Amino acid sequence: MRRIVLPGEKVFDSPREVESCVKDANGTYATEVSVFYDDKVVPLKGVYVPHQGEGIIGIVSNLNFSGYVVDLNSPYPGRLSDQETMEDLQLGDVISVKVQVVTEVNECALIEPQRLSGGDILEVPAVKVPRIIGRNGSMLNTIKEFTGTDVLVGKNGRIYLRNGNVGLAAEAIMKICRESHTSGLTERVTAFLTQNR
Amino acid sequence: MTEKRELIRNGKRANGREDDELRPIKITVGVLDKAQGSCLLEWGKNMVLAGVYGPREVFPKRDVDARKAILVARYVMAPFSGVEGHGRAGPNRRSREISKVAGHVFENVVLTEKFPKTMIEVQMEVLQSDGGTRIAAITAGVLALADAGIPMKDLPCGSGVGTIDEDNKRMVLDLDKYEDNLGKSDIPTILSPRTGEILLYQMDGYLTKEQLLEGLDKVQSKAVPRLREEMARALKEKYGGMAENGGVEQ
Repeated sequence: MRRIVLPGEKVFDSPREVESCVKDANGTYATEVSVFYDDKVVPLKGVYVPHQGEGIIGIVSNLNFSGYVVDLNSPYPGRLSDQETMEDLQLGDVISVKVQVVTEVNECALIEPQRLSGGDILEVPAVKVPRIIGRNGSMLNTIKEFTGTDVLVGKNGRIYLRNGNVGLAAEAIMKICRESHTSGLTERVTAFLTQNR
Repeated sequence: MTEKRELIRNGKRANGREDDELRPIKITVGVLDKAQGSCLLEWGKNMVLAGVYGPREVFPKRDVDARKAILVARYVMAPFSGVEGHGRAGPNRRSREISKVAGHVFENVVLTEKFPKTMIEVQMEVLQSDGGTRIAAITAGVLALADAGIPMKDLPCGSGVGTIDEDNKRMVLDLDKYEDNLGKSDIPTILSPRTGEILLYQMDGYLTKEQLLEGLDKVQSKAVPRLREEMARALKEKYGGMAENGGVEQ
């Protein structure tokens, strides 16, 4: 059964190592407002912290002698060496990048930059990204199919949209974010897209 | 301020409440769009708006801590809040003190080590005051932190407790402005319900050890469960409206 758990609420009677939980001798407790189901604690809100190997969308926020500082929609900036890029990037350029490595203070080095131009950026909470993609990308494919939009989802909650019915795609994504914790979401999004096509 | 008022009428509190009764509490979470998390709390005639910003880059840079996030709390009373006895509104000695103790409460529950080199800002604005604003402000701050998705060990809560009779004997919960100003003593108390840890405890007046323990017990057994319930209801209202059946819409 799914239920909402609050910080300090017991989720297990024994100490266990669970993502976004704390433990003591008597049990394991949630630390964020989360949904608890299938022995998993899934936070409903939170900031993005980069992890190795994730594909994200950044905005160039500063230039220095050896490369670029990239805003990642996170408290931590990313660093992109100019040896990674063939072309010169400008301040404010939107790029899709991959996290190469993250230090113990969550600062990260980025690789494989690719400049994105001529589209729109939508920012959503990073915790909703798995729902936007769906199981094996099913939700994302539905959106792409119905709106004819190229959608690129960054793990950090930035979504790049280009071509097709961008407005409808954005609306569908916002709908997913609002209703992310309910079941039967794929059907409802499909119905929404069919209606407004 | 020197106005004469009786606090006890016919053996009962003049404001009509029982000794263990709190004022009505109304909590709305997520009222500010631009803040990471926010809360509007109405506690009797008290009204507090709290907003949480962060974790974000530290400013000023010299305050950065490479091992954990720093927590900045700011409590301030609005000019129209009915400051009367508290001097003037805005930043002053009193508001700095309360910001400091509120900061300690938050620091002790937030898992700051999860976000090294960042800062978390908790802004608490008292819009209307009627005694016990520091408790109300901290409660609002805690809910705004929870709404912001900042990891915390617990949702701390509490209330004021103190004596209002001439003999300095009768301990009552949640003192309002007149009971606070004219009563003999009061102790704002904030506890962590899960562990029973005391996070805020500031005594004004004179009390015996037995009275202190009695007051603490009253807060723990009467005020905390009530507040915990209200806080849970407010958060569950925002995150899915499933307070009653405990399950998600199927």
